[in-house]
Amino acid sequence: MAVEAPPKPTLADKIYDKLFHNYVWKSIFRTGYPNTPRNQMLIVATNVFLHLHPTRIHRTHVKITHTYCLGGLSFFMFLGLTVTGILLMFYYVPSVERAYLDIQNITTTVQFGQLMRNMHRWMAHAMVILVFLHMMRVFYTGAYKPPREFNWVVGVILLVLTFLLSFTGYLLPWDQLAFWAITVGSEIAGSAPVLGPKTRFWMLGGFEVGPNALIRFYTLHVIGLPLLAAIFMAVHFWRIRRDGGLARPL
Amino acid sequence: MATAVVARPVARPQPRARDEEVLVWPDLIFIEFISALVFTVGLLILSTFMNAPLLDQANPDVTPNPSKAPWYLLNLQELLLHMNAAMAGIIVPTVWLILLAAFPYFDRDNEGQGAWFATENAWRITIASGIVAFVGTWVLILWDTGKVAYFLHAWFGLSGGDTLRFLENVRSMQSQLPWPEWSRSITYLPFELRILDGTGRGGPTTFQHLDLPAWLVEQAIPIVALVGLPSLLIYTLWRMGWVVSRRDALLALFTGFVVVFGVLTLVGTAFRGQGQELVLPWQLKVSEGIPGQEAH
Repeated sequence: MAVEAPPKPTLADKIYDKLFHNYVWKSIFRTGYPNTPRNQMLIVATNVFLHLHPTRIHRTHVKITHTYCLGGLSFFMFLGLTVTGILLMFYYVPSVERAYLDIQNITTTVQFGQLMRNMHRWMAHAMVILVFLHMMRVFYTGAYKPPREFNWVVGVILLVLTFLLSFTGYLLPWDQLAFWAITVGSEIAGSAPVLGPKTRFWMLGGFEVGPNALIRFYTLHVIGLPLLAAIFMAVHFWRIRRDGGLARPL
Repeated sequence: MATAVVARPVARPQPRARDEEVLVWPDLIFIEFISALVFTVGLLILSTFMNAPLLDQANPDVTPNPSKAPWYLLNLQELLLHMNAAMAGIIVPTVWLILLAAFPYFDRDNEGQGAWFATENAWRITIASGIVAFVGTWVLILWDTGKVAYFLHAWFGLSGGDTLRFLENVRSMQSQLPWPEWSRSITYLPFELRILDGTGRGGPTTFQHLDLPAWLVEQAIPIVALVGLPSLLIYTLWRMGWVVSRRDALLALFTGFVVVFGVLTLVGTAFRGQGQELVLPWQLKVSEGIPGQEAH
C-alpha cells in the first residue's frame, strides 16, 4: 500500500510556521501550545506564573458554585489595584498643598486619568466585598477545618490588611470626604482604652489629620501594607497547596 | 424483584483518585481567565459611567454633618451611638476578630467540610439565625433611638408616662431613673491611677471614680446584649435540637455576625442623617459648616 503523501502546507500553515516556529519566539516560549495531558501538566508545573497551581485538581473544584472564584478574584483585584495604583502614583504627590490639585489634574487633564482613578476606586471597594464574600464561602463550606486551621487565621489577617489598605487610601484625595472620614475613623481608633490616644497620635503623626497623617497614610498605602499583604498572601496561597488543595468532603 | 435476583458484584472497583481529577491546564486556567476578564470588563464599564467621588478640598474648619467613616467602618460608627466609644470602636471588633480567628481551634471536627452547608441542620440554622439577627438588630436600633416608644405612642396611643420613660432607650435608664447621688461617682480606688499623661485629647486618664448608671448604660448592658443574645440564640437552637455540634453553633454565630454587620453597615450608610439621627434614606442630606450656620 502506498504511503499517503503529507498534505501540502497551506498559506495559513506557512504564516503560522513563520510566526511561532522562529528562533526568537522559541527563545521565549520553549514549547508550543501544550496539547497533550503530559505537556499540560508540565506547563503548569514549570511556568513561573502557573506553578502555584497543582497540575491536577479534583473535578468538583472546577465547579463555579464551589468557590465562585472569590479568593482568586480578591487576588486579581489586588493585582489590578497595583497596576492602576502605580499609574496614579506618577501624578500624585502626597503633600497637603498638592494632593487635591493632583487628583483634579488626574481627572481633568491626564489621558485616561479619570478612568484609572475610577478603576482604582471601584476595584478597592470590590476587593473589600470580595474578600468578605470569600471569608463567607470558606466558612459555609467548612473549609477552615483541619488541616486548614492556620490558613483561616492568615485569612483573617488578610481581611484586616484589606480594610487597612482601603482605609489608608481613603485619605489620599484630600477632599472633604477623605478628611472627615479619616477624622472619624481615627477617632474610633483613639477611643481605645489606655492606648487609644497614643495610637491615634502615632497613626496621624499629630493630634489632627494633617500633612504628617497624609504622608504616613500614603507610605503605608503604597508600600508598607501592600508588602505585608503580599507576604501573607504568599503564605496563604502556599498553605492551600501544603494543606492539600481545596477542602473536599471526607 | 429482578434486582434481588441479579446480584451486583460484591467488590466494585473503587474509582481511582486520578479518575476524579481534571487537569489545571486547561480546565482551571480557563475559569480563572474568564472570571478575571469578566471583572476587568465589568469594572471598566462601571468606571466609564460612574466617576469616583471628589468633593471640595479638605477643610478642617468646615465639618460636614453628618461626618462618616468609610462605609465598611460605618458598622462601628453605628455601634458607637449605642455604647461606650472604646467598646464599640476597639474592644468589640478586636474581640470579634480574635474569636473569628479562633474558629478552627474551637470546631476541630473535620466533618462537614468541602461542601456548602454540609451538616444536617446547616440550612435551617443559617436561615433562622439570619432572620433572628436581622429582626433583632433592627428592633434594638429602633428601640435605642426611641422609635419604638414613638411608634407605640403615634400608632397605638400607648404611652408609659413618666414612670416608664426610662424604658424609652438605653440612655434614658441613666437619665430617667432616680439614681442616688453617690452612685454617680463611686470611688473604688483610694488613689489616682494615671495610666497615660494627657497627650491625647481626652485629658488625663483616671480610673478611680465610677459613674455607675453611665457604666451600666454604656458598658454593662451592651456587653450583656452582645454576649447574651447570641448565646441565647445558640442555646435556643440547641434546645430545639437543631444545633448538635460545635460546627452548628458556629454556623449560628457566624451567620448572626454577617447579618448584624450588614444591618449596621446599612443603617450607618443609608439611615443616618444630620446629627446621626435615624432617618429614611431619601431624607438623608449632608450639610457643611458649623452647626446652625451651615452654608447652603
